[in-house]
Amino acid sequence: MNIIEIKNLSHSFLDGTLGINGVNLSIKEGEFIVIGGQNGSGKTTLLKHLNGLLLPTKGTVLVKGVEVSRNIKKIRQMVGMVFQNADSQIVGETVYADVAFGPENLCLDRQEIEKRVSAALESVDLAQHADKSPHLLSGGEKRRLSIAGILAMEPKIIVFDEPFSSLDYPGVRQVLEQIISLHQSGHTIIITTHDIEKIITHANRLLIMEDGKVVRDGMPDKILQEAEVFGVRMPCATRMGMEVASWLS
Amino acid sequence: MAELTVFSYRCGKSILHKLDVRFKLFFLVLISFTVIKAEFTALFLISSALMSVLVYIRFPIMSSLKDLKYFFFLILLVFFARAFSATGSVLIEWRFIVISKQGVYEGLLVCWRLFLIVFLSLAFISTTRPSEIKAAVEWFLIPFPFIPGKRVAIMMSLIMRFMPVIYDQVKDTADAQRARCIDNKKNPIYRLIKLLIPVIRRTFEGADDLALAMEARCFSENRTDPVLSSSRKDWIVFFVVICLCIVIIKI
Repeated sequence: MNIIEIKNLSHSFLDGTLGINGVNLSIKEGEFIVIGGQNGSGKTTLLKHLNGLLLPTKGTVLVKGVEVSRNIKKIRQMVGMVFQNADSQIVGETVYADVAFGPENLCLDRQEIEKRVSAALESVDLAQHADKSPHLLSGGEKRRLSIAGILAMEPKIIVFDEPFSSLDYPGVRQVLEQIISLHQSGHTIIITTHDIEKIITHANRLLIMEDGKVVRDGMPDKILQEAEVFGVRMPCATRMGMEVASWLS
Repeated sequence: MAELTVFSYRCGKSILHKLDVRFKLFFLVLISFTVIKAEFTALFLISSALMSVLVYIRFPIMSSLKDLKYFFFLILLVFFARAFSATGSVLIEWRFIVISKQGVYEGLLVCWRLFLIVFLSLAFISTTRPSEIKAAVEWFLIPFPFIPGKRVAIMMSLIMRFMPVIYDQVKDTADAQRARCIDNKKNPIYRLIKLLIPVIRRTFEGADDLALAMEARCFSENRTDPVLSSSRKDWIVFFVVICLCIVIIKI
């Protein structure tokens, strides 16, 4: 079943630049999709349409059959978005307060909020930092906190915008483990990145964007060979004719 | 690596950590007003009590003094302003500068009071979660229908959240400019402008990102209210604080 349907989506910015140009896309429940492309290819603009942060200039975006612009609050609860810059996503003054921010906005009762916050912090292994200021966390921990903030809203789909940017190797591994475990627990995962090597082995679909259009869409091993034509670095192993290994192995 | 600032909450299990935040906020305001009215003997008593409390809650007094160096500069200015402006029997006279005994006395008194109020506030901040302060402010604003309590509370919490981030940005920008020999420019206004413009720009960009992130998490003013509860312990402390304030005013 398609959980997301994008039909003829276009988006122009106020200065007239076309961010997205006639994108058609169907995403099945439980898929793990990586969207690659150069800076400015329209990846983040596409993601922002999935939870109504941007609305289409033309075309429609349906999430579970509901048009995004019709019920934005419900859509934002269904589609959680983890931003590129964790520092600007974290709004709470403590780790606990940040994770509670989303459920409080959903007007849940205090007991339910506490249950969800504890579960989300446990799942990203940050429970011991509940009273800490987010400012004092490491880069990887901040990214995991952003994920916990989304998990507490119990979304079905989680979109990640450049989840590995500015992270060191252990940080990348921590976030990667988290993403894989979310996929295994049944979430639909959509990730944008210009460094596909770190994640591609776990994805079951690769999309490449250029100038606001989806120019390639299919199984990763089929598309990887062409990636560099569109300014996306081909994984080293692919270049050498080998299978891409996971960063976790 | 980021560090805890003097304005950060510090986990603990002291009675001050456990008191209801509404009572603590009330005590802070009440004691601050008492300090303003207090004279030397009373100030000495309050200082001794406050010092004991700071030691009891394990507040890092020495490192906080280092963090407050700019505040001491301000205190010094207040002292001189008071010492030069008050009239009375002359202590020092040089050309047109006259410092009176009363001026020095009043200057010391005002600085001592300011110093105590700042450390009272630090004791409050370091034993109270920012989310609790936010909740208490929201609670105190309920009787004022013309003040949007929830909005004020969320603004306060965002300020508390972003103070250390902005502080880090200032430090980063200053370091980057020092690496490019800004120290060679002696004009402080030039240096201040060169520092402020990028910091303000980055702060506004950060604010845009923050607004998007809040929207993505369904931000609305109609949110679940925080739970605040008081116990017998709060009322006992309330009684003690009231008695102490009365005694101090009477001294």
